[in-house]
Amino acid sequence: MLIRRRTLLAASAAATVASPAIAQNYPRRAVQLVVAFPPGGSTDVGARILAAMAEKDFGQPITVVNKAGAGGQIGFTEIARARPDGYTLGFLNLPGMNTITLDPERKAAFTIDSFIPIVNQVLDPGFIWAKGDSPYKTLADLVDAAKKNPGKISACTTGILSDDHLAILMVQEAAKCEFRIVHFDGGAQQLTGVLGGHVDVAFDNVGSVFKRVGTGEILGLAVTDTQRSKFLPQIPTTPELGMPSVISNSTRGVGAPKGTPADICKIVETAFLKAINSAEMKEKMDAVGLALKPMVGAEYAKYYADLQAQAKKYTEWALKMR
Amino acid sequence: MDALGHLLSGFAAALSLHYLLYAFAGCILGTLIGVLPGLGPAAGTAILIPLTFSLDPTGAIIMLSAIYYGAMYGGTITSVLINVPGEAASVVTCIDGHQMARQGRAGSALGIAAIGSFVGGTLATVALVVVAMPLATLALKFGPAEFFALMVAGLCLVVGLAGKNILAALLMTVIGLLLSLIGLDPVRGAPRFTFGVEELFDGIGFVPVVMGLFGVAELLLAAETRQTHMIQAELKSWMPTRQECKDCIGAILRGTGVGFVLGLIPGVGAIVPTFMAYVLEKRVSKTPERFGKGAIEGVASAETANNAYANAAMVPLLALGIPSSPTIAVLMGAFIINGIQPGPFLFAEQPKLVWTVIASFFVGNVLLLILNLPLVGLWAKLLKIPFSYMCAGVLIFCVIGAYGLKQSLFDVWVMLGFGIIGYLLRKLDFPIAPAILALILGPMMEKSLRTTLEISGGSFAIFLDRPVALVLLAIPVIVIGFLLFKPRSLAPLRESDVD
Amino acid sequence: MRQGRLIATGAMLVFCLFAIWQSLLLSLTDRLGPGPGFFPFWLALIGAVLAVALLITTFREAADPSVAETRILPHGDGGKRWLAIVVLLAAVTVAMEFVGFRIAMLAFNAVLVIALGERRWWVIAVFAILGSFGVYYVFTTWLDVLLPVSWFGF
Repeated sequence: MLIRRRTLLAASAAATVASPAIAQNYPRRAVQLVVAFPPGGSTDVGARILAAMAEKDFGQPITVVNKAGAGGQIGFTEIARARPDGYTLGFLNLPGMNTITLDPERKAAFTIDSFIPIVNQVLDPGFIWAKGDSPYKTLADLVDAAKKNPGKISACTTGILSDDHLAILMVQEAAKCEFRIVHFDGGAQQLTGVLGGHVDVAFDNVGSVFKRVGTGEILGLAVTDTQRSKFLPQIPTTPELGMPSVISNSTRGVGAPKGTPADICKIVETAFLKAINSAEMKEKMDAVGLALKPMVGAEYAKYYADLQAQAKKYTEWALKMR
Repeated sequence: MDALGHLLSGFAAALSLHYLLYAFAGCILGTLIGVLPGLGPAAGTAILIPLTFSLDPTGAIIMLSAIYYGAMYGGTITSVLINVPGEAASVVTCIDGHQMARQGRAGSALGIAAIGSFVGGTLATVALVVVAMPLATLALKFGPAEFFALMVAGLCLVVGLAGKNILAALLMTVIGLLLSLIGLDPVRGAPRFTFGVEELFDGIGFVPVVMGLFGVAELLLAAETRQTHMIQAELKSWMPTRQECKDCIGAILRGTGVGFVLGLIPGVGAIVPTFMAYVLEKRVSKTPERFGKGAIEGVASAETANNAYANAAMVPLLALGIPSSPTIAVLMGAFIINGIQPGPFLFAEQPKLVWTVIASFFVGNVLLLILNLPLVGLWAKLLKIPFSYMCAGVLIFCVIGAYGLKQSLFDVWVMLGFGIIGYLLRKLDFPIAPAILALILGPMMEKSLRTTLEISGGSFAIFLDRPVALVLLAIPVIVIGFLLFKPRSLAPLRESDVD
Repeated sequence: MRQGRLIATGAMLVFCLFAIWQSLLLSLTDRLGPGPGFFPFWLALIGAVLAVALLITTFREAADPSVAETRILPHGDGGKRWLAIVVLLAAVTVAMEFVGFRIAMLAFNAVLVIALGERRWWVIAVFAILGSFGVYYVFTTWLDVLLPVSWFGF
């Protein structure tokens, strides 16, 4: 009772002042892990696995809360605005988060500095796929069709200025073609859209759909990475298909709102990193097709900062289209 | 595994002790909400959402579904005993049910309502098991264009209920839709109508709005007219006689059919099936003049349709992710809060949860029957709680519910504001239901329209190419047009049927 | 009633016009398709047309002499109870931020039931304590729902 009172007191009074009393007793209650994408998408799946495993060491429940919409902006805003008391953590999806801060129309209520990157979990390569009985059997088929009918072949993303949107822009630039871009809210909507025949092709990530490639439900066209995915060894990469400039992936890690005391971040990092490095995690993530890429501290911070510069270029392309 | 196999394993899970307890607690709480006047299932379910925060998703959904059924059911008791419908769905029950109570046949009325609800609910759940899977597959054909058309049709069907108040209902729909757009644009992320207020970035919370419009507004209305204690109705008979049951078999079966079919169509709401089942029963009856003077078939048909509807309305929610009524919308919010996105892939991706929940629907219907028959007297006693304590108690719950979701006092202010607005709208006879439904459907509607236009490259002609969407869009145009320009020819028909 | 409806419809018309103006500040349509202002603009336009139509029909309706004009705003004894609920609810919302849920609700419960006619002090006391400290205990301890706590930790 005493501690809860203090946490709230500290949070409402002076948000950024770190009180040692807080960290010593952290965590005293359930921690919310905000996911900026809807349930069932690959960010959500990864987050739920991580939450379930990390809470064993953590000693308190870690609750995944989905705040989907606007390519993640609603959820990221939620994380940035949360009390920096360690009881709200969130998944940072890069480069989606970067591009939001770079688009002036979105009047993002956060900047890249509104978050403290704590620990990265996943690097999920981009994946281009179509319906199982699609007329486009290869990436070349698709690109040819898009060249013949500029702006007629519809390609869907998991949100505006998401990594998938950037991947479409990269393919358009590399192949000099034009797609009709449709923005969905996440992987589940993409599935409904493409399998229902409403959209021709999805730009997605390996994790969302890799299981469905095996069932013939969907047809994999390309993985946008420098090397083949271990989950889809039969699918060629974009460099193999003559588009070396099309490299797009999504990384997902855990962060906290700016102002969260460093000792709390360290507690989170320790618990989460232990979970990420465990054999059980690898087994579970393999089952859902998500490649682990643990990064912490300086490495993650550098990656986080570097990506901002890179994302700036893509975003400017996208904005030019408007 | 086929549907039956899934269902059996669902039963195994649903019958485990803790889920049984959640369902039981939900039934009791729900019936309580239904019994308390002025707290319909929508407000009741919203108020009780905080209770489920600490349960696992399956348990939370089971409990909330049980609350929902209980609430749909509990309204019957007050309708029969004191002619106060706890919620819209029980309005029709009042017509004959209260007449029966006056004749000392309250037990018969309550008994047949319980039996009818049980049969209607169970048969509708059987149909749900059979239809849900095919519907879930069919749902893939529902693209953004069809979703948009479906939502327009749903909203307009609700508007169509407003009778002569049709313009006001349309206006309320638009206001509800506009309010739902506050917050970040779901496609581009640009803030809209937020005026820099951070709390508005996430949109106006649905729960505080519903608690205001239903809970607080209802209390404000009640506070104006002196309400101290409820009248004690004497219960002479506890059970319907064998002859009465026999008379009702047809009514119960027809009520199930009407309730189930209408429950599949999103946006119909609970009052339409009960009303239509009642009208149908009166038409079929050889002695239609008894209706309105204590005809047990009238009670049976309305109550059966009510519960059949409540179960069937789960089909569009589970299979399409579409809430068909304000209560289901609250329930859907609770699903999402608990990490479950209802939609076409729910059956494929979380079969265990879905089938456990469906199995718990059966269990819930049985529990309700067991609860309702012997506990009628106890429920009635609750009405003797003095109004002052009832009022304070409901307000405590409302404050907690509004605050607890986001730990935001802003939401408590939203609740109070909408309480006053709801009071004024009720006084001025502006229908609130369309605005509530619009508030829920608004973001989905905008998103599906904009996605549709992205797919078509900005051309509205896409709606002409899609027959299902076209038909769905044509329905509301015809219905609204008919109601707007021919209200006179409809009105006498309705009145004569109810009288 | 008629006057009240006219005022309410007028307010909704103003709301819709305001929404039209606000939507025009956003992009309606651009190369990427319909923009953020698209849906609200058309909705608000439809709403404004509906509001005008409703204003006209309400205005034309002759006041029905058979129906007594119902008072819209609360009045008399009922009005006092009405006002008590609204004012107390506003007060408790303000108070919770400073004195926390328990103290604020304790006072709210006591004053509300007194305002609504209860006079037995011990019933009031038991109810007020159960409805504040009791509810707080149940929700924070058993249900893990956070409720406001005061600056002084109470």
